[in-house]
This record gives sequence, C-alpha cells and structure tokens, in this order.
Amino acid sequence: MTHLSLLVFSPITPLEHTARHVLNWLHYSVGLPWAWSIVALTLIVRMILVPLTVRQIHSMQNLQRFAPQMKEIQKKYKSDKQKQNEELMKFYRENNINPAASCLPMLFQLPVFIALYYSLKSFAKHPPPGHQDFSFLHFIPSIAAHTTTHWGGYVLLVVYVASQMASTLFMSATADKTQRALFMIMPVVFVFIIARFPAGLVLYWVTTNLWTVGQGLITRRLMPKTPPPDLFKRSSRTPPKSDTDTDSGGGGNGSQPDAAPSTPKPAAPRSGGGQPRRVRRKKGTARRR
Amino acid sequence: MYRAGVAAVWFYRVTWGALFPTTCKYHPSCSQYAIDAVRQKGLLRGSVLAGWRLLRCNPWSKGGFDPVR
Repeated sequence: MTHLSLLVFSPITPLEHTARHVLNWLHYSVGLPWAWSIVALTLIVRMILVPLTVRQIHSMQNLQRFAPQMKEIQKKYKSDKQKQNEELMKFYRENNINPAASCLPMLFQLPVFIALYYSLKSFAKHPPPGHQDFSFLHFIPSIAAHTTTHWGGYVLLVVYVASQMASTLFMSATADKTQRALFMIMPVVFVFIIARFPAGLVLYWVTTNLWTVGQGLITRRLMPKTPPPDLFKRSSRTPPKSDTDTDSGGGGNGSQPDAAPSTPKPAAPRSGGGQPRRVRRKKGTARRR
Repeated sequence: MYRAGVAAVWFYRVTWGALFPTTCKYHPSCSQYAIDAVRQKGLLRGSVLAGWRLLRCNPWSKGGFDPVR
C-alpha cells in the first residue's frame, strides 16, 4: 500500500516540498505571517506569468475589433459547432489574428495549486514547531483548516465567487453569450467543492483572481490598443508615415514579404472577399454591411 | 491502456479545465488533441505529442487547425 501511494504521489512530493520551501522562506526569512506568505507566493507566481498574460490581453483587444465578422461566422454555422470552429480558425489565419486564449498559462498554475493544497494539508497534520499563527486578517482563524469551519471562511467564499466572476469578465476569450453565462455560474457551483478545501487555498484563489482583475484594468488603461496585425500586411496601401507608428504590434507577424513599398497598386490579398473592412484608417470603408 | 490517458483528460476537463474560462487557440482543442493522440498513437507517444502541443499553445503561437497526424 505504501508503495502504491509512493507511486501515485511521487510527482506531487517535489512540488509540495518546493511550495513548502518557498512558504518557509517567506515566513522565516522575509518575516511574513503564514497567511500573507501564501498571498506573496501567489503574487510571485502571477508576476512570473505577467509577460504571458499581458500578451494575452493585447491579442484579446485585437480580437474584439474583428468581433462583427466573427459573429457572422458563428451565426452562419450555428448548427455545426465543428464547422464553426474550423471556419473561425480559418478566419484567424486569413486575417493574421493571434487568438487570445492559450492553454499554457492556465496550465502553469495547476502545479502551484496542487503543491499548495498538499503543503496546507501537511500543515494541518504536522504544524511547524513552536506557536504558530495561521490566522488571516482576524477573520480566518486558520488557513490550514477547512474553509467552512469558521464564519470567516464563508466571507472568504463570497469574496471568492465575486472575484472569480470579475476575473471571468476580464479573461474569458469567448464572445459567445451562453458560454459566458455558463462561466459566470461556474464559481457558484464550485463553491461547494472549494468549501472543503483549506482556507489558505481559497486565499490563493482570491488573490490570483484579484490580480487578474487589477491587471486587466491596468493594461486596458495604460496600454493603447495595439493596431491589428494586418496593418502590416496592408502597408502597400497605407501611407509610409502610418507604418512607423504601428510598430508596437510585437512579434508573431514580423515577416511580410508581400509588402513591397514600391507597389503602386494594392497588393493582391491572400484571402478571398471582404477586403475594404480591413483598411482601418479610412473610417467610411471600415464597416462592411 | 490508452483509456487511462483519456480518463485523465476527462478528469482534467471537469476539474481544472472547468474553472478557467479559456478556449484553446487550436482546433481541435488541446484536451481533444490529447485524447485523439492517445487513441491513435498509444499512451506513451500520445502523451508526448499532447505535451508538445501544450507547449505550442502559448500566447506567441498562431493557433489554428492542427489535428493529430
């Protein structure tokens, strides 16, 4: 039996140890209380992820410019989800869009979460020597105990639901209304599962959600909307002046062999119909009806 | 044997995947790709393929139609 558990938990043990080490460092060396060490750990993780998420928010902003066309595609293939997806992917490719969502940043948080879960569990079983203060802001008596053991836990759960909904508003990449609604209901369902987790884990979740919300607000306010990547493609049409101020688009679409500056007439587009809408500089032609 | 892999993906889908409102930038999605890969190539090669796909599914990649070959 011990062998079996060793086999099952072998990939988790190093994770747990790492989390425990980081928490120990934050507590003993930096001098934070245990609960705040968890908050700090969360912030560290999210800071590492900043380049990924900022990039994600940017491409989401670009994506919103194409929302009308994408809605059209969704309407057209309403009955066939598979076909709809394929057409959307084709549309992305044709218009040189980088879809916002990606699995890697989301998956990166999974090991952190598992590690924290196990280290909090072992906190409850084998607490560190000496008198330890596991409380948080005077309303959570212990971060290692189940969330529902104290009224403060319920407060934390309410905050969790609110923050999860808010972060969904910022980070959900889908424009589909029903799907969005489903994602908004999800935290209410999950609250019943999460209630059985240690309070520290919910604390992690609340922190990471609040970070998401704050990051969304800041990036939206600070950073001007990046021009859609296809402005590069259309450089033969746009005056050279506009080329210089559109270089904040970043990577992903650097190569444009067909954008020869000497071409007098519009370069032949790669895709089929509906080009006028892509010339964003001209207000009158921007909309296709 | 591949069933273990498929079960693992489903477990992920109903737990972690359900919590994060992201839709994959590829088609089929990473989790569906993992299922297809494990079914077609077996647990070991399928897992490697799925892992490689996950690494590709980052904010810098283009995404798009990318089935198991």
